[in-house]
Amino acid sequence: MRLAFTLALREMRGGLSGFRVLILCLTLGVAAIAAVGTLRAAIEAGLSDQGAVILGGDAQVSFTYRRADAEELAWIEANATAVSEVLTFRSLAVVGEDQALTQVKAVDDAWPLLGQVKLDQGTLAEAFATKEGKPGAVMEKLLADRLGLVPGDSFKLGLQEFRLGALMLSEPDSATAGIGFAPKTVVQSAALGASGLLAPGSMYDSHYRMVTQAPLGPLKTEAEAKFGEKGLDWTDRRNAARGVERFVDRLGSFLILVGLAGLAVGGVGVASAVRAWMERRVATIATLKVLGAEGGLVAQVYLVQVLAVVALGTGLGLALGAGAMMAVFPLIIAELPFPVTVGLYPQPLIEAAFYGIVTGMLFALWPLAQALRQGAAALYRGAGRLWPGKGWILVQVVLLLALVGGAVWFSGNWMLTLGTLGGVAAVLAVLWGAGWGLARVARRVARSRLVDGRPGLRLALAAIGGPRSEAMSVVLSLGLGLSVLAVVGQIDANFRLAIARDLPTRAPSFFFIDIQPDQTAPFLARMEEDPAVTKVESAAMLRGTLTQINGRPAKEVAGDHWVVRGDRGISLADAMPEGTEVTAGQWWPEGYSGPGQVSFAADEAAEIGLKLGDALVLNILGRDIPVTVTSFRKVDFSNAGMGFVMVVDKAALAGAPYTSIATVYAEPEAEATLLRDTARTWPNVTAISVKEAIAKVVEALTAIATATVAAAGAVLVVGLVVLVGAVASGVPLRLREASVLKVLGATRGRILGSFALRAAIMGAAAGLVAVGAGAVGGWAVLSLVMELPFVFEPWSALGVVSGGVLVTLVAGLIFAAVPLRARPAGVLRTVEG
Amino acid sequence: MDVLELSGVRLTLDGNAGPVEILRGIDLSVKAGESLALIGPSGSGKSSLLMLMAGLEKATGGKVAALGQDLGAMDEDALARFRRGRMGVVFQSFHLIPTMTALENVAVPLEIAGVANAARLAAEELEAVGLGARKGHYPSQMSGGEQQRVALARASAGRPKLLLADEPTGNLDQANGAAIMDLLFGLRDRHGATLVMVTHAPELAERCDRVVRMADGRLA
Repeated sequence: MRLAFTLALREMRGGLSGFRVLILCLTLGVAAIAAVGTLRAAIEAGLSDQGAVILGGDAQVSFTYRRADAEELAWIEANATAVSEVLTFRSLAVVGEDQALTQVKAVDDAWPLLGQVKLDQGTLAEAFATKEGKPGAVMEKLLADRLGLVPGDSFKLGLQEFRLGALMLSEPDSATAGIGFAPKTVVQSAALGASGLLAPGSMYDSHYRMVTQAPLGPLKTEAEAKFGEKGLDWTDRRNAARGVERFVDRLGSFLILVGLAGLAVGGVGVASAVRAWMERRVATIATLKVLGAEGGLVAQVYLVQVLAVVALGTGLGLALGAGAMMAVFPLIIAELPFPVTVGLYPQPLIEAAFYGIVTGMLFALWPLAQALRQGAAALYRGAGRLWPGKGWILVQVVLLLALVGGAVWFSGNWMLTLGTLGGVAAVLAVLWGAGWGLARVARRVARSRLVDGRPGLRLALAAIGGPRSEAMSVVLSLGLGLSVLAVVGQIDANFRLAIARDLPTRAPSFFFIDIQPDQTAPFLARMEEDPAVTKVESAAMLRGTLTQINGRPAKEVAGDHWVVRGDRGISLADAMPEGTEVTAGQWWPEGYSGPGQVSFAADEAAEIGLKLGDALVLNILGRDIPVTVTSFRKVDFSNAGMGFVMVVDKAALAGAPYTSIATVYAEPEAEATLLRDTARTWPNVTAISVKEAIAKVVEALTAIATATVAAAGAVLVVGLVVLVGAVASGVPLRLREASVLKVLGATRGRILGSFALRAAIMGAAAGLVAVGAGAVGGWAVLSLVMELPFVFEPWSALGVVSGGVLVTLVAGLIFAAVPLRARPAGVLRTVEG
Repeated sequence: MDVLELSGVRLTLDGNAGPVEILRGIDLSVKAGESLALIGPSGSGKSSLLMLMAGLEKATGGKVAALGQDLGAMDEDALARFRRGRMGVVFQSFHLIPTMTALENVAVPLEIAGVANAARLAAEELEAVGLGARKGHYPSQMSGGEQQRVALARASAGRPKLLLADEPTGNLDQANGAAIMDLLFGLRDRHGATLVMVTHAPELAERCDRVVRMADGRLA
């Protein structure tokens, strides 16, 4: 081994010039993964360090549409040293004619149990104090600015008038609600009595924050066993911000997969860099063999070098990735809606190092093993490549399995990971086939009469189809990068298309929620009388949980289907609502009052495996309601209209406090008047502007799309590095070719034309494969993962093909400068000597 | 005693246009201490025959035995081990390792064979070929003649019983070529080695004990 080190060091004395592309590819790929991992770890650490503060207690139990009943409250108080009740709901903050949607948080005197509320002035008690008969409230600055309020001004929530006591700069438990769509107003619950906002059936949630010394695991089990069926939802400091965590997890996994795609692209660069490097070492390997070196020693000499370079690339990548995040943290912390604990975390760095080393070795070992297999004379002769020996193939298989296993393990989503890696492998296979086919076709055409009298074209085709052609490495390196871009391009275009196509034309202007039963008729009458209102739909609704299917727990039958994941909106109806399309079974007769029946959304029923006649149990406000599935309906959830998975016959829910929800489609110019009018007439009814909500969704989707395009851009940068490496490695060959052509009388223009032509042909081939990969990949992601319709988007595809041609052309022409400038005699003398 | 014994040796290589028969049944033996020149037109198979004798290529038919060992029965590693200290090979295009100095190039076979004082012995060999002052120079810093002298020093450093030279003066001018031949024969005499040399030059061939002519893959 010592001799191997000595020989390796002697070889490496000359510098790392042959390894620049390899190091750059690994550095960029590893840096991307390390940066994303570090961010994820920092957020996870932030959430875990401050779990109790974010949650506002060690544990929290929540109920939908109701407060805890006496039994539940007794259990909560018995198990906590301190308790605070927080109610949350959406409402409109009204100032004169002006109004804005707000997320109201109604708290008790104990709030906040942990952490501090930061106000622009005074204490919380002072802010909440009642002055001139108006109870105090605090509000986020964004909302106050929008309504033109300053502390001391008045505003209304429902029927109750409040005084703005102070502006809220931050609250400790902000992240529990996830990423909200409306700015917050905090009031004391006691002050809401006259507001009319907490009437029976109103859409609000109650949360009981507990400070407790008891072990959380057993406590959770006990709470869920006792009250789970009544709709209790448990959270504790161990996973305080579930929504945020899920978001971070998914985004992190997705970005790691993009990073993996980047590493795969970089891997192609690693492979071609190692191959080019090995080709320059072939004579040395042969000579070592002639001098008596066994295969093992030669392998060690080159493994030491490859390992050293892979380690260097990985190390640089870790430093760059972690360093970049440390530099960026101060800039993004303020923008993130959740706490971040800045620091260097070993886990993501280990993860990134694992990917770097395994990918680097996976792609580097094959060409090394091929060279080792050849005899010395064959190596000197430049004979064709052999397959590596069995042992080496086994090592490759082990590395590949380690990479796939590691990716699955680290990302925690085996389907997405295997799908991505499978897609990358398939694209590589297709690109390999395209490279091979292109060379064959070029060789055949170059020898045909088609190119008679076109020496430039013949030269280009002969170079693509000839021995030591760059076609394969260019098509592979550029093609994989372009494929990632093409997939993202198709997804992005389809996303935007879906937003543009579906929402503005079909979505309603407003959702009105919390319409009390006695307000429904006058409300609907007011809407129907208004000529500016084109359509109004309403449905009675309450929230409930599907707890059992045919006597078994619903989650056991339906797994993780979204319908059984917590409480859902359930509508109740007597006669079949207008526009209902029953696909199977029968709607109950009007005035029906027998055993409970439910009409289920057809697609969701099929996904869960429900049949007509199945017995379900719904838990509504703590009460179990048995119902039988008697019909299936077609429901479209995509157009922001009214859609309920379950509609229950009205008699089954008699006595349950429900409210109505209405969707109103109106002329855009009449929307403001409509809003003002309804807010004045029915202050407890909250209007949600669909346009604003959609604008928020579009904003969020655009941000996601931008992040995706940026990530794909990073992959493309790696692809470009690889491409430049591939083109650069062909310079000596082109140098010689250009010199010979000049000897034979070719002008520089003609030589340049030939170089440009071959670059364009190879770029177009890579681009065309990428378009195919984009179409298939885009379809797979949209149809299988996002369940959106897929339409092939030609402009994005055209962009990818022309980008491929252009990039290869530019790279080819830049690297053509040296061969064109060189004097033939000098080149040929070196080659011959 | 025969140092080299070839019987019915055939060599067929796969080319792009199909298999190419390089050697078509060679029977040849070389005695210990003998010097043999292989001559013939380009493409007659001389260099390929030399590669077979060195165990750098595998015969596709017949038997090649060197120093009493059947080379066809050995794998790549066994052949590499076999060459250590037994064979020295000199090529027309030198095949020095470009990343190593002259001294290191000469020392490599000794280091691979695990010889102690490899550097000192290598320095002595370089002195013997007149390059004592160029020990720290890289191949790219030396002339063709100097590179070939380094290659000669490297081939003889392990005191081989068999020296194989493939057109050792083919890339050199007349004066350098003559100097190299003097060194080659001097080394061979000093170590009492058997010498097999491929050459196009009749005057070099005449310095050998025996001349064998090849044509079209056969001994003429």
